[in-house]
Amino acid sequence: MIKIQNLNKYFYKGQERELHALRDINLEIKKGEYALLTGPSGCGKTTLLNAIGALDGIDSGEIYLDEREISSLSEDERTTIRLNEMGFVFQAYNLIPVLTVEENIGFIMKLRGFSDEEISKRVKEVATLLEIDNKLKSLPSNLSGGQQQRVAVARAVAPKPKIILADEPTANLDSKNSKALMDMMKSLNEKEGISIVFASHDEYVMQSVKRIIKLKDGAIVES
Amino acid sequence: MYKLIIKLAFNNAFLRLSRTLLVIIMIAVSMSMMLSLQGLYDGMTISMIDKTKRSDSGEISLYNKNYRVSKALKDNIPNATSIAEKLEKRSDVNAVVLRLKAEGLSSTARKSAFSTVIGIELNAEEKFGEFDLFLKSGELRLDKRGALLGSELAKTLKVKIGSKVIFSTQDSSGEINAMSLRVRGIVQTGNISLDNSAVYVERKKLQNFLGVSANEATQIAIRTDSLVLQDELTQTYKNLDVKSFLELYPMMKQMQEVMIVFTSITFFIVMMVVFIGIMGVMYVSILDRIREFGIMRSIGMSYALIRSQIFLEALFVGTLGYIFGAVLGLLALLYLQTYGLDLGAYADGMESFGYSSVLYATIKLSYFSSTFIAIIGASLLSVLLPLRKIKTMNSIEVTKVDI
Repeated sequence: MIKIQNLNKYFYKGQERELHALRDINLEIKKGEYALLTGPSGCGKTTLLNAIGALDGIDSGEIYLDEREISSLSEDERTTIRLNEMGFVFQAYNLIPVLTVEENIGFIMKLRGFSDEEISKRVKEVATLLEIDNKLKSLPSNLSGGQQQRVAVARAVAPKPKIILADEPTANLDSKNSKALMDMMKSLNEKEGISIVFASHDEYVMQSVKRIIKLKDGAIVES
Repeated sequence: MYKLIIKLAFNNAFLRLSRTLLVIIMIAVSMSMMLSLQGLYDGMTISMIDKTKRSDSGEISLYNKNYRVSKALKDNIPNATSIAEKLEKRSDVNAVVLRLKAEGLSSTARKSAFSTVIGIELNAEEKFGEFDLFLKSGELRLDKRGALLGSELAKTLKVKIGSKVIFSTQDSSGEINAMSLRVRGIVQTGNISLDNSAVYVERKKLQNFLGVSANEATQIAIRTDSLVLQDELTQTYKNLDVKSFLELYPMMKQMQEVMIVFTSITFFIVMMVVFIGIMGVMYVSILDRIREFGIMRSIGMSYALIRSQIFLEALFVGTLGYIFGAVLGLLALLYLQTYGLDLGAYADGMESFGYSSVLYATIKLSYFSSTFIAIIGASLLSVLLPLRKIKTMNSIEVTKVDI
């Protein structure tokens, strides 16, 4: 589903402090995979996740999503790809504070033009799965960190994307909430068949995933 | 989709309620002040034009072709009465007056001043321009020796009600003659030249004094709403000088233009205040929520939708500011229209320029429509810079912010 060929990414290119963030990355992520990008801080896992998610440009190489090369697309085209094909979970939850939990979960579906009926049905379904169905009318500010992260996961999962990219989703959670979240994500992967790729060095995530891709100094050292 | 965008815009516009209220109050106060100033500026001009028309020119005035240059008694309209009678019968003419004018010297025992004696008929003047409203002191009475003096002339001659004034001038035969007058009233027309020099007497008495016939007059002034009457009269009375108000008082046109410039400058300043106010608040608000916009972009919300949301936010704030400003402005205008703005402390200065010391505002629908367009325009323009910030932001960087 995702195929990366000879990917290279630099920061501060041409400057004295130039950094070769990703080096000749070749990687394939298949449909339904439950994988982790891991490695020490600064190894390039978030940079690679951002490249896969069409959030950031690359300097050379190709990234294919279902045979379509996405790294060379315009910003608007990449935004459309992110909207229609991908789901994102961020470390800092990043919910929309003025919308209720229900509206946050249905937000992407709304952007994609689903009907109100479809949205309502799916929101309830996902919220039940993630055990936040009793918080649908609450504002994010009234939820705990763990609950907010579950809402963020629900938002990513609700429109049934091809792949979910989760960057350090447990970084701001305590161990209990981390374990609970990972159990739920594993369940989503199994029940919904959604591919999920994490970027993390959290042990709960490591224990949960089926595939670990290790990076060091911008290169894949183990896959 | 748009319901969600509207909700996002509305909720975000009032997320920091005190900040938003401050902007709304700022817009409302600026706008009400703007409306009041606009009303007062217009009121001043309209009042001055109105007084000039009522006291002298009407909308159209007819003269002998040479009179306005020579000011000589011989250059009068010989058949003025019959022309006036014809004009009065027309449905598009509201009122007509005949005036006989002669320049001369007014004297008292101690002072003298150049002046213009004007022969009028009080009843006709009342119908023509509510002459009684010009009376400043004394009474509106022109008996056999009675005269009404312009307020500034009365000051120059240092006369009071009941004082004796001698007016001397050349009559139609070229002889210097004088008539003794008793001041019955002092009038303030707001027309500087009349207030400085006018001595009003009964027209018939002046005709006798000057030795002109009852049909003769130097001016026929007309009140009308017709826009085509002047052209028609010019064609009909080819031997007469048919002049419109603005041709007789070109200064008024300039004054109107100056007032438009003043209003425009004030308008511009107020709109800049509104523009900078909204821009400041929107910029801060967007900086506060930059991570939120980064997330929206990251999860696939297009820039066009974010732009719509920001425009709507500015529109909500601008529209609310406008509504409060319009209500506040209307109340201020109604007050100023009813009670006026009393600038009694500057009365002498203002009256010498023909302005009343109490300024009354006018109210026009155009004040509200033009301000609406300007405020909405300023609101929408004010978000361009904040929008640029969103367009150029790095979604990855802004979403990294710690919680």
